[in-house]
Amino acid sequence: MKIVGVAACTVGIAHTYIAQEKMENAGKKAGHEIAIETQGTIGTENELSSQQIQEADIVILAADVKIAGRERFEGKRIIQVPTDVAVKSPNKLIKKAEEVLKQKQAQ
Amino acid sequence: MNKLKELNLKGHLLTAISYLIPIVCGAGFLIAIGMGFGGTSTDQLVPGEFSIWDVLATMGGAGLGLLPVVIATGISYSIAGKPGIAPGFIIGLTANAIGAGFIGGILGGFLSGYLAISLIKYFKVPKWAKGLMPTLVIPFFTSLIGGLIMVYIIGAPIAAFTSLLTNALESLGSSSLLMFGGVVGLLSGIDYGGPINKTVFAFVLTLQAEGINGPITALQLVNTATPIGFGLAFFIAKLFRKNIYTPVETEALKSAVPMGFINIVEGVIPIVMNDIVRCLIATAVGGAAGGAVSMVLGADATVPFGGVLMLPTMTNPWTGVAALVVNILVTGFTLALIKKHKSEEELSLVTEDDEDDEEDIDLDDIKVM
Repeated sequence: MKIVGVAACTVGIAHTYIAQEKMENAGKKAGHEIAIETQGTIGTENELSSQQIQEADIVILAADVKIAGRERFEGKRIIQVPTDVAVKSPNKLIKKAEEVLKQKQAQ
Repeated sequence: MNKLKELNLKGHLLTAISYLIPIVCGAGFLIAIGMGFGGTSTDQLVPGEFSIWDVLATMGGAGLGLLPVVIATGISYSIAGKPGIAPGFIIGLTANAIGAGFIGGILGGFLSGYLAISLIKYFKVPKWAKGLMPTLVIPFFTSLIGGLIMVYIIGAPIAAFTSLLTNALESLGSSSLLMFGGVVGLLSGIDYGGPINKTVFAFVLTLQAEGINGPITALQLVNTATPIGFGLAFFIAKLFRKNIYTPVETEALKSAVPMGFINIVEGVIPIVMNDIVRCLIATAVGGAAGGAVSMVLGADATVPFGGVLMLPTMTNPWTGVAALVVNILVTGFTLALIKKHKSEEELSLVTEDDEDDEEDIDLDDIKVM
């Protein structure tokens, strides 16, 4: 499946990027296409294109703070967690995303 | 409890702090450099009567004086979005005016944000008057109601409470300082820049906004020392012919230690994850020791960020150095002692992130929409 997401922590210099890396690695390992945008103190990097968002099956927001541009994900299936979860348990988080998507398809 | 969680008070506060930190850093360095060279922070720069150092100090002072306003605006924005900015700004300034300071700014921000969002939700205007919402109704009425509440109801008690708190902390004896520093150090080290650390950060930042620099200095020195201590442990362990890190971990240390020097503790997380209990003990013991030394000696950085860059901003930089050294040594030795020796066999195993080792996700943490 295709996953997009945003990572944003409080100070915006470390957790944001660790969360991004962990989620991308875990996602790729599980065979998904994944792109994570980072919203750090330096600003937005690796910005998601509207095409990426449109094609995505699910959105993962790993954020401790209010993220910019949340309206872009309107109508999408969204999972929101603190960055902590993405840092500590990225593989389980991806698995959770798979489950959520399955539930949606079953409905 | 669930209702409270939905309000997401902490999330809004953290959002505001994320806007605050760059301002504190920028203004903090300006005032530290300015005052370091003999400048003073003044309300007004009279042409011809100031030096460049007065200018720097004044710039910094002006920035730091705005902290209650920034935190109020940030919280209000986090809650209500763009319409929250204007009333947050005004109510924050009102909090400043009544002397309610940083705590006043925090409460004012929540007040402003929730007032704005309820006006948006419940105040219905006919279609032709839609333009009045963002121009008159929200900025004017939110500021009016919030400002009046700030001045006539909550302002004076907060101001009294703030001065009570600052007086109490300023008059702490050295044994209480030891305790206080120890606790701050312990709590800030214990989750490596995670939620506990940030909560303590919010508290000590409040104290700094009131002019008490000690606690936040202790916290940041611990964050700085922890990764360096992890690096030192590598060498101490070598002395005992002990290998405590896998090659992957040693690689991680190479970036974690330099990051530590500039106050980023998060680099050690991958190492901690592999051996949580032992690493935590070493961090906590070192942090408590370093925090206590920092508070007792009175290390007082005006800039609450930057690792070793904070040292020159202290009245007595050696106090900060002493705290760092104690913290690094204690963490390093403890870790070298309690971490298990890794045999050649284990070292050759390339450990990959294993799903089974991961912590279970707390279902309360997840929101699916």
